[in-house]
Amino acid sequence: MATHPSPAEFAREKHVSYLKTCLEILPHEYESSDTNRMTFAYFCLSGLELLDVLDSTLTPERRRVWIDWIYAQQILPNLDKPAENEQLCGFRGSPFSGSKFDVNGVRDAQLPVDAANLAMTYTALCCLLLLKDDLSRVNRPAIINALQYLQNEDGSFSQTYQSMESDIRFVYCACAISYILNDFSGFNVAKVLDYIKKSQTYDYGIAQSPDQESHGGSTYCAISALRILNRIDEGLLSKDKTIFWCLSRQISGFQGRPNKPPDTCYSFWIGGALKLLGAFDLIDFDSNRTFLLTTQSRHGGFSKWPPELNRFAEWIKYPSDLLHTYMGIAALSLMREPGLVDLDPAINISKRTIDRLINESVFWRE
Amino acid sequence: MSSIENFIDQPIWDDVEPIPQDDGPDPLAPIAYSHDYSRAMDLFRAITRKKELSERALKLTETIIELNPAHYTVWNYRQQILTAIDYDLNEELNFVDSCAEQNPKNYQVWHHRQIVVDKLNDSSRELPFINGILDDDSKNYHAWSYRQWIIKRFNLWKGELTFVSSLLEKDVRNNSAWNQRYFYIFNNPEEVTEGIINSEIEYAIEKIRLTPHNISPWNYIKGVIEKSGKSIEILENICKELQNADIRSPHLLGSLVDIYENRARAGSNKDKQEAIKICTLLADEHDIIRKKYWEYRKHAIAAY
Repeated sequence: MATHPSPAEFAREKHVSYLKTCLEILPHEYESSDTNRMTFAYFCLSGLELLDVLDSTLTPERRRVWIDWIYAQQILPNLDKPAENEQLCGFRGSPFSGSKFDVNGVRDAQLPVDAANLAMTYTALCCLLLLKDDLSRVNRPAIINALQYLQNEDGSFSQTYQSMESDIRFVYCACAISYILNDFSGFNVAKVLDYIKKSQTYDYGIAQSPDQESHGGSTYCAISALRILNRIDEGLLSKDKTIFWCLSRQISGFQGRPNKPPDTCYSFWIGGALKLLGAFDLIDFDSNRTFLLTTQSRHGGFSKWPPELNRFAEWIKYPSDLLHTYMGIAALSLMREPGLVDLDPAINISKRTIDRLINESVFWRE
Repeated sequence: MSSIENFIDQPIWDDVEPIPQDDGPDPLAPIAYSHDYSRAMDLFRAITRKKELSERALKLTETIIELNPAHYTVWNYRQQILTAIDYDLNEELNFVDSCAEQNPKNYQVWHHRQIVVDKLNDSSRELPFINGILDDDSKNYHAWSYRQWIIKRFNLWKGELTFVSSLLEKDVRNNSAWNQRYFYIFNNPEEVTEGIINSEIEYAIEKIRLTPHNISPWNYIKGVIEKSGKSIEILENICKELQNADIRSPHLLGSLVDIYENRARAGSNKDKQEAIKICTLLADEHDIIRKKYWEYRKHAIAAY
């Protein structure tokens, strides 16, 4: 039988070069992530920050032009008739709509081609912070005002105005945005709590929306949202049972749902949830770390799964991708892997970036 | 030449001035787009600017979706076109069928299907379609979510319990099917009688006997017990029965800890000692990966 091909060590330098390459140009397969491009920029920037090389990687000039690029994706109220597009304000993921590049943002946005997206607004704000921007060009009133149009009757949020895609992922984004902008006046918190309560299932994990199966990703989103709102005890039907649900997902690394195989990203989603619940120390660190290291690719980055033996007793490796690379690094940071910077599990950027948000950004300094 | 290339380079587009993406002087994380995608998006930018809702625009959205099925803006524009040109929605479902087969885990495809079927107000194709997707991946989250919607929207409860049972016959570890069972029992219009509860408890016990290490029926039975206001004590018999058969599943032992802990809290020292003993067994032998958890439980119980 062939020997297991995975390195037993954290291949730090390879991950650095993988992320740097992706930051310069995302490979062709990310074409299908065109609308979510901001998220992938965030994975690169935040990953390099956790690896403690972001500062040394970027010149001030590079930071400046990328900050401009992000502000060029900001959808702003129409100057003459602000009421006409106030539902669309925030950040979009990329300039696919065809508007002219303008570092002052987009003033003529119209549905359906140009509208902000909650996940993109959240990751754009994170990217700005990672690039050391003080958020002074962010139109806070417009973003906070738009939240009321994105929250649905049941308490959930839609990712864009009038989209059917509405679930707990965007509840989290709305909370993280409100935290970064230091303003929670844009939505109905009671409805959010109600939605999160209804999404808890009979096994005390949390589903993406009511009646669905409990899931590691949505459990993270719900708990992180509650933590940001400072309402963990109020929002969870049983904190102890939810902790046990999370701990029960560990089988080496973590699975996302009962009876599913472990997957790199759940070491973060569930690990982060446990950290926020104050129970992270109850996991088995060694098994988790060993699992994560086996999902590293030879060429840098992490894949979803460890290599698998095929029927010819050959190890088949899965390709790495940016989401799993970022989540793998973030998961190791939760366990204080040497050489990694500490992570804030609720906002999912480094703790020192959160410190900068609080001390230097315009919405917290005031 | 691919069919895509063929379509986007045809003379029917001669009257359209393509609009390239303006990504600024030094874009952040630019994507290495293929020629086809760039060209198709250049045309898309141009026709959306003109607000053109036409047959060729519909075909163009199909082209882009083939390259990037997650492009929610393109899906949204497609929905506008369908309405504007009064497109045959059954024909549209044929398109969605093939999209979903190729991208069964794509959010947009399922949302689009929901919009089309809602408008069509006809669910006849839906359950066979979802069953086909579940045949390939019986835990597909999108498929289950859509299935719950379709059942509620068109009142398709009849037959659902049989379907779920058949999936559990095939794979008793399918947690999605257990979740659907719970959804069915407590949401279908029929009153949840004591008889139904008891038969669900019996059903889960039978599956626990079959696979005592399978967490799903344990979670299910506890969920049903709690929802119906019964006591977890009723699990003691099955736990003892399995224990006597030398089965040491962590779920079985964990359930005993819960039962004994309740009694310890009410003052029983014997149960307290028993709970502590089982916590030790779990920590040291039967659930070692959660060693720290069981030790934590043990200390909490010892403190009563």
